[in-house]
Amino acid sequence: MHKESAIREPLILGHKTYHQITEDVCKPIEDKAPRMWYILFSIAAIIGLYGVGCILYLLGTGIGTWGLNKTVGWAWDITNFVWWVGIGHAGTLISAVLLLFRQKWRMAINRSAEAMTIFAVFMAGLFPLIHMGRIWVAYWVLPLPNQFGSLWVNFNSPLLWDVFAISTYLSVSLVFWYIGLIPDFATIRDRVKKPVPKKMYSMLSFGWSGRAKHWNRFELVSLVLAGVATPLVFSVHSIVSFDFATSVIPGWHTTIFPPYFVAGAVFSGFAMVQTLMLVMRKAMKLEAYIHTKHVEYMNIVIMVTGSIVGTAYITELFISWYSGVEYEAYAFINRATGPYWWAYWAMMTCNVISPQLMWFKKLRRSLLFTFIISIVVNIGMWFERFVIIVTSVHRDYLPSSWSMFYPTHIDIGVFVGTIGLFFVFFLLFARFFPVLALNEVKTILKSSGESFKNDQAHSPAYSLADQHLAFKVTHHDDHSHGETATHVEAEKVDEPKSEAPTENQLDGKIDLLLAAIGKADESSKDDLKLLNGLGPAMETKLNEIGIYTFAQLAKMTKTEYDLLDELIDARGRAEKDDWAGQANDLMNNNEN
Amino acid sequence: MATNRKYWKGLEELKETPEFIQQRDQEFMTNTGVEEFLGDDQLKETSTARRDFLKFLGFSVAAATVAACEAPVVKAVPYVNKPEDVTPGKATWYASTYYDGVSYANILVKTREGRPIFVKGNRDFGFTHGSVNPQIIGSVLSLYDGERVQFATIDGENTATATVDGEIKDGLAKIKAKGGKVVLLSNTLASPSTYAAIAEFKNSLGSLNEEGMAAGASFDHIQYDAVSYAGMRKANEATIGKSIIPDYDFSKAKTIVSFGADFLTSWLLPTQFTPQYLVNRNPDNDWMSKHYQFESNMSITGSNADERFMIKPSQEGAVLAALIKACGGNVSGVSGEVPASVSADVIAAVAKNLKAGNGLVVSGSNNVGIQSLVNKLNHIIGAYTSIININNPINLFQSEDGKMMDLMKNITAGKAPDAIIFYGVNPVYSSPNGAALAEAIGKVGLTISLSQFADETAVNCKYIVPDHHALEAWNDYAPKANEYAIAQPTIRPLFDSAPAQESFLVWAGVAQRGGKDSRVVFDFMQKTWAANGFADETAFDSFWNTTIHNSALSLTAEVPSQPEFSDGGVNSAIKSLPQGGDVEIVLYQKAAIGNGANAANPWLQEMPDPISKVTWDNYITMNPVDMERDGYSTRIDQEHAASTATVTVGEVSLTLPVYPAPGQALDTVGIALGYGRGENGEAIGKAAYQTKEFGGYATDENGKKQTIGKNAFRLIDTANGTMEYTVAGSVKSAGGTYPIATTQIHQTVMGRNSIVRETTFDIYKNRSKDAYNPDWKLMKIDENGHHVKAPIEEFDLWDAHPVEHIGHRWGMTIDLSSCIGCGSCLVACQSENNVPVVGKDEVRRGREMHWLRLDRYYASEQEATVGQRKDKDTFSYSKAERAADNPKVVHQPMMCHHCNHAPCETVCPVAATTHSNEGLNQMTYNRCIGTRYCANNCPYKVRRFNWFNYPSYKKFSEVNPAQDELGRMVLNPDVTVRTRGVMEKCSFCVQKIQEGKLTAKKEMRPVKDGDVTTACSDACPSNAIIVGDWNDVNSMVRSSSEDNRAYQALEEIGVKPNIWYKVKVRNEQNDLLAEIQEKSEEKHSHNGHGEHEAHDDHGHDHGTEQEH
Repeated sequence: MHKESAIREPLILGHKTYHQITEDVCKPIEDKAPRMWYILFSIAAIIGLYGVGCILYLLGTGIGTWGLNKTVGWAWDITNFVWWVGIGHAGTLISAVLLLFRQKWRMAINRSAEAMTIFAVFMAGLFPLIHMGRIWVAYWVLPLPNQFGSLWVNFNSPLLWDVFAISTYLSVSLVFWYIGLIPDFATIRDRVKKPVPKKMYSMLSFGWSGRAKHWNRFELVSLVLAGVATPLVFSVHSIVSFDFATSVIPGWHTTIFPPYFVAGAVFSGFAMVQTLMLVMRKAMKLEAYIHTKHVEYMNIVIMVTGSIVGTAYITELFISWYSGVEYEAYAFINRATGPYWWAYWAMMTCNVISPQLMWFKKLRRSLLFTFIISIVVNIGMWFERFVIIVTSVHRDYLPSSWSMFYPTHIDIGVFVGTIGLFFVFFLLFARFFPVLALNEVKTILKSSGESFKNDQAHSPAYSLADQHLAFKVTHHDDHSHGETATHVEAEKVDEPKSEAPTENQLDGKIDLLLAAIGKADESSKDDLKLLNGLGPAMETKLNEIGIYTFAQLAKMTKTEYDLLDELIDARGRAEKDDWAGQANDLMNNNEN
Repeated sequence: MATNRKYWKGLEELKETPEFIQQRDQEFMTNTGVEEFLGDDQLKETSTARRDFLKFLGFSVAAATVAACEAPVVKAVPYVNKPEDVTPGKATWYASTYYDGVSYANILVKTREGRPIFVKGNRDFGFTHGSVNPQIIGSVLSLYDGERVQFATIDGENTATATVDGEIKDGLAKIKAKGGKVVLLSNTLASPSTYAAIAEFKNSLGSLNEEGMAAGASFDHIQYDAVSYAGMRKANEATIGKSIIPDYDFSKAKTIVSFGADFLTSWLLPTQFTPQYLVNRNPDNDWMSKHYQFESNMSITGSNADERFMIKPSQEGAVLAALIKACGGNVSGVSGEVPASVSADVIAAVAKNLKAGNGLVVSGSNNVGIQSLVNKLNHIIGAYTSIININNPINLFQSEDGKMMDLMKNITAGKAPDAIIFYGVNPVYSSPNGAALAEAIGKVGLTISLSQFADETAVNCKYIVPDHHALEAWNDYAPKANEYAIAQPTIRPLFDSAPAQESFLVWAGVAQRGGKDSRVVFDFMQKTWAANGFADETAFDSFWNTTIHNSALSLTAEVPSQPEFSDGGVNSAIKSLPQGGDVEIVLYQKAAIGNGANAANPWLQEMPDPISKVTWDNYITMNPVDMERDGYSTRIDQEHAASTATVTVGEVSLTLPVYPAPGQALDTVGIALGYGRGENGEAIGKAAYQTKEFGGYATDENGKKQTIGKNAFRLIDTANGTMEYTVAGSVKSAGGTYPIATTQIHQTVMGRNSIVRETTFDIYKNRSKDAYNPDWKLMKIDENGHHVKAPIEEFDLWDAHPVEHIGHRWGMTIDLSSCIGCGSCLVACQSENNVPVVGKDEVRRGREMHWLRLDRYYASEQEATVGQRKDKDTFSYSKAERAADNPKVVHQPMMCHHCNHAPCETVCPVAATTHSNEGLNQMTYNRCIGTRYCANNCPYKVRRFNWFNYPSYKKFSEVNPAQDELGRMVLNPDVTVRTRGVMEKCSFCVQKIQEGKLTAKKEMRPVKDGDVTTACSDACPSNAIIVGDWNDVNSMVRSSSEDNRAYQALEEIGVKPNIWYKVKVRNEQNDLLAEIQEKSEEKHSHNGHGEHEAHDDHGHDHGTEQEH
C-alpha cells in the first residue's frame, strides 16, 4: 500500500475511493447523454458535414476552387495540415515522454490528449490527401510494387518522408492509445448490463481478465511503445519542417526549423489540450482529477515551448539580416511590413507575448485565463504556419511572379469543416470511451498528500474549495429528505480554515475517532441531514463530538462505525446506511 | 452396398405428376402473347415488394453509374488511301504569305494530317527574314473558329452560293442598266491579282466613254484601313511631291528618333523594321545605333529606346521644330511649347547625332503637319539619300481617308451609292461614325459583304458571300514596289466559303464557281503573273513553281534619291498641327489585338500586353502620378479592382478602368483600339465577349453580351481630313470599379541585380566583365587555411547530373539586348504546346498557364537602371516597389530553366519530374499526383498547375479552343493535352528536339546547329533566343553562353540552369550606373588573395559575395 505523503500536493482531490474513480469515469458512458452533448454534437456534425461537402466539391471540380495561384501553390491546405499535426503532438508527448519521465500527473490527461492527437492527425492527414491534384492516384506515394515497371517513389522528397512520418505517428499513437484503453474497456464491460454494449466492450477489451500476467504484459507493452513513440514526437514535426527547410525558397530554407517546429507543435498541442480539458473537466465533473495543478503544469510547458518558439522567431530575423542574403532579408522584411503584416503581427502577439504571461503564478493558475490563452495560442500557431507558408512563397525570387493569396469560401469551409469533424470525433470519444485512464489513475490515488485532502493545506490552489468541490449546503424550504425538494446551493468557500484547537473536552474515544477521520469545526459545517437515515437529532449528536463535515463521514470504516456506536447510540445505523459512501457522493456533488 | 438413390428437384418430380411429365418433355414453355400478358388484369394488382424495388433501384443506379464512367468513344477514321503529300505523324510545311491588312510577313505553315497547326516566319525567303508578330502566329487559330460564316447568306439565311450569285448578278445588272453607282470598299489589298480581278469586275459593269459619260454603272474602289496612314501620304505629296509611303531601312540608321512610332510592333512594316533595327543594336558591333523615343504612351518601341522622353501629342510639333532649328533648318508658325523634360541640352544632343549622318526621324502621327515636319527634318539631315527610299515605296496602307469620309457622309445623308461591296473591312466597327453607318447602310440598294464573319458590318448587309480564311486561299501580294509574294492554301476549305477574287470574277461573268476544289483563283493568278511579264512564257512554269516554293520574289529595288523638297508644303501643312487640351488621348494598337480583327482569338486575348501585362481588356493608361492626383486606385490585383473613368471627346464618351502606366506623359492617357467588338452581340467568335466566373457570357441588364473593352475607334479625330489618333478631350472619374486581369502585379525588380543585368554601351566597350557582369563568388577555406573567394561552380551539395560532355545537353541563351518584348514567343509556345487558355477570371486569380512568360520590369527611382541600386545605404524596399515616373524597361522571357540541380526534381514524392540525360527537366504528366511542391520550390516560378480540367470544365467552354470540336483541330498532336490536377511547364519543346535528333539520325550525321529549335526561338523576330546542344563546342549556344555578357538568372542559389541571359546594353549616358559598375570592377580586381572587405558592407554581401 502507498504511504501517503503529507506534503506532496495531491493529484486527485477529495476522498476518492477506487470504486468512486470507476464510478466517475464510467458514469458518462453508462448514463444517458446530457442534452448539451446532443446539442454540441449536432453543431459539430453540421459544421463537419459542411466541410465534407466542400471537400467533395473540391474533389469534383479541381484544386482551382481554392484560392491558390501560380505563385502560391500551398496556402490554407498545408497551413491546416501543419497546424493539425502540431496539435497532434501533445498527446504522444504526454503519454510517452512523460511516462518515461514518470510524471504521474500525466495520468489524468493522457487518455483524452491521446484521443485528441489521433483525431488531430486524422484531420492533418486529410489535407495532404485532398491537396493533391489527383487524389485518385494518391497511393502512388507509397512504395508499392506496381505494374508501371520500375516506377518507385522519390526517396529524396521531404513530402515522401512526411508520408512515412505521419503514417507511423498515427499508427503508433493509435496502438498506444488503444493498448491503454484495454483494461478500461474491460472495466466497462464488467459493469454494463445491456447485451449489445457488453458485447461491444468485450470485443474491444480483447478478453482482458486483469490477471497479473496481463498487467505485466500491459506495463511492458506500454513501456516499449512509449520508447517507440518518444522519438516520433520529435521526428514527426522535424520531418514536416523539412518540407520547408529543404527547399530553396527564402523564408522556408531555414535550418532552425526542426527544433522550432517541434517546440511550436508541443506549444500548440498543449494549448489544445488545455482548451479541451478545461471544458471536459467541467462537463464531465472531473474536477477532482484534472485540477489547477495539471493546468499549471501544462501552462509551464506552454510557457517554455512558447519561449523557444519566440526565440526562434527572433533568431530567424537576426539570421536573415546577418546572412546578408538579399532574398532572405527581404522575406522577413516583407513578413513584418509587407501586405501580410497583420498575419505576422497576429502570430507575434499570440505566440511570443501571450505565453510570457504564464510567468505570473496567479495567471497560470487561473482557469479562465488559461482557457483564453489556450485559444489565443492556437490562433497564433495557425498564423505562424500561414506566415511561413504564404508570406514566404508569395514574394520569393522573381518580383514578376509575386502575388497575393486570397482564400475562397471552399478554403474556409474545408478548414472549419475539419474543426467540426474533430469535435464530432472527440464528442463520440467522450461519450463512449473512458475519458480518464481509470486504471492508471487508480495507481496514483494514494500518493496524494493527506493534508491537502483534508482541506487544511496552506496552498489555496489545491484546496477542495478552489476546485469548487467543497459545498455549503443549506436548506431553503423544508427539512424533507426527499431529493426533489432539496435545493442545493453551492457556494465557494472563500478562505481555507486554519487549524483551530478544539475547545471540547474529549475523551480518548473521540480523539481516536477524530484522529481517523480528521478534525473540523463548525464553520465548515455541512448539512449532515442530507444523508439518508440521519436526522436533526443525530446531526446535533455528531456535531457535539466534533463531526461536522461530509469529508469526515466519508472516511469512516468499520472501526470508526464501531467507535461511533459506542460514543453515541447510533445502533449500527451508520454502517447500515453507508454514511461514508453517501457522504462521499454528496461531497462530490453526485446526484444520487 | 449399392445404393439406389434418386435425386429429385421438387416433389413433382419425385411423384412424377402428369403435369410435370408433360412440362419436362416440352423444351420450351408455352409463350404468353404480349397482348394476352398485358391484358391480364391480375397483373395490375400485383405489386413489387419494397425490398425488390430497392434492389432494382440499387442495381439500376449502379448500372447507370458504371455505364456513365465509360469513356466516350472517339472514332478515329483511318486513311484508306494515303493522300499523296500527307504522311501521318509527319509535318508538312508550306511557304506562304501572311497579310491581313495590317501585318505582313513571309511565313511557313506547319500542317499535320492536312491541318495547319503552326505558323512561323520564313527565314529563307522574303524581305521579312522570318520576322513575325503575335497576331501572325495566332492567326492559325482563327481558321478553326466555328463562328465563321459557313455558307453564303441572304438576310442571314444560309443559301446556296449559286442562288446568291444569281441574285447579286441580277442586282448588278439592274444598276448597270440604270447607270447607277457601285462602290467596293476594301482594306488595302496590295494584291496584283486581286486588283486585276476587281478590274475585270469593273469592266463588266461598264466604263467611262471618251466624254467621261458613264456607260453602264460607275464603279469606285475605295481602300480604307482601320488604322490609316493617309496623313503620311498627304504630307509626302505636299513636301516631296509623291503620294507614297517610302521604304525605310532601319539597318542603315545610326540615330533613330521616333515620335510615337511603334515601329517594332505596329507602325507600317514592323516585321521588316524589327530585324533591321536589331542589326545595329548588337553591342558586339563597333558601334550601336542611338534610339531616342519621344512619345506619350509607353510603347514597346519606347521601352527599348536608349533614351525616352515623355511628351504630349500637341508638343510633338514644337519638339520637331526645335530639332529642325538645331539641325540648321528653319520653320515658323509652329505653336506649342517644348516640354521642360526635353531640355535644350537634349535637343542639342539629339540634333548633333542626327547631323552626324545616318539619322532617321519617324513619327506615328497621322497628322499631315507633323509628318511634313518629319519630312523636313529628314530632308535636312539627309535621310532621303540613304535610309528613306522614296523610289521603292511601300504599297500597303493606301487608305484614302478623304474618300472614305465622303462616302460615309453620303451614305448617312441618303446619297448612298446603289451597291456597296465590303471586302476585308468592318467600317461599322472601325470608323469614327460607324454607329451612324450601321443605321444608314439599309438605304443602300445592294449590300454585299465578303467577310468571314457576320461582323458588325456584315450583319447589316443583305448578302454575305464569305471569303476563305487566308490559310485556305490563294493570293498574291506586292507589299513593296520590288517585292512580290504568294500565299498558298494549306487546307481544303472547311466551309462553303468562296474566295473574294473568284466572287468578283463570277459576278463579272468571266468565271464559274468551282466549289471547294476551285482552281479559278489559282488560274487567274497564274495568268496575271504571266501577263505581267514576270518571266518569258517558256520559263514560266519553273519560275512559277520556284516562286510558290519560296512564296516570295524580290526584284532589285530602285536606289534612294534626294527628293525635290517643297518647304511650301510644310508651311501649309503645319496649320493643322494637333491642338492640346485638358487631357490628350492617344489611341494605340496593342501587340496582340491590333485593330480588333482578331478580337475573338483567345490566344491573343490572353497574351498579356507586353507593357501593362493586362489580358482580356482595354483600359485607360495613365501615369501613376496623375492617378494619385485624381484619386484613382493604383493597387490592382485579384481583389483590388481598378477605378473607372469616363473619357469624353466631343460627344463620344467611353467608361473604362484606369490602369497605371509609368512612362505615360502627364496629362495624357492612352486607350487601345481593337476592343469593344460585337456591341450588338454579333457572332464574331466565342471568345470575343466577357465571360462569367462559372462559365457562360456576362450580360448587361438587357441580356446583351458584354463586349471586352470599349470601342476607341469612335474617338478618332477627323477634323483635319485624316483619321487622327491623338485627340484632346477630358477624363473624369466614373466612380466605379472594374476588375482587371494582369499577369504581373509587381512592377519593379526591387533592386535585385541577379535577375536582369544592364549596362551601357560605353561601359561594355571600355570596362571588363567585372564591371557589368561580375561573377558570383563564395568564400571558402583553401589548403593553407586562408579564406579565399572561389567561383560558384566549385560549390556543390551533391554530384551534378552527368550531362556535361556526354551526349547532348540542350541549352538556351536569351539576349536581353535583342529581346524587344513583342510576345511572339509566348503565342508560339501556346500554339506549339497546346497550352490551355483560361480566360480573364482565372488570369485575375494568377492562374494563367503560359509556359513562357515575358517579365517586364520597370526601374524605380531607387535604381540607376533596372536592378542596379543607386545607393545601397539609402535603398528602401518600400520606395523600390514603385516604378519611376518615366522608367527604364527590361523585358525578360522566362520559362523553365531546366536546372541541372533542379529544386523541383528533388521534392516530387513520386518522381514525376526528373532529369533527362540530355539536361532536360522532364515532366511526366501521367505520373504527377499534383502536390504542387515542385511549383512552390521553383525559384523561377515557371511551373503551371492544371487547376481545373481545362478541356472540359464549363468555365472554359467560351475561351479554351480545346473545348470546341473545330478549335481542337489546332492542337499539336505531338503534345499531350494535360488533364486536371497535373503540373506542366516548358519542355524545351522536347518533341521538336526529338524530331531534330531523328532528322540527323536518318541522315546519318550528328545533330548540328539548327536541327533543334524551340517554338519560341522559331518565333523570335529578333533572334534573341538561341537553342542548341551546349555539349557541342562549336554550337552557337555554347559560344553565346560563354560570352562576356552571359549570366544566369539567380545563379548564386546554385540550381545550375541550362538557360543563360545576356546583359542588356543600352546606348545611353548613365553616369550613376557607370559609377556603380566602375566601383564593382575596381573591387573585384583588388581581391582574391584572402583579404576582402566583406565587413565594410556588412549585411549585404555576406553569404554569397558578389562584387557590385
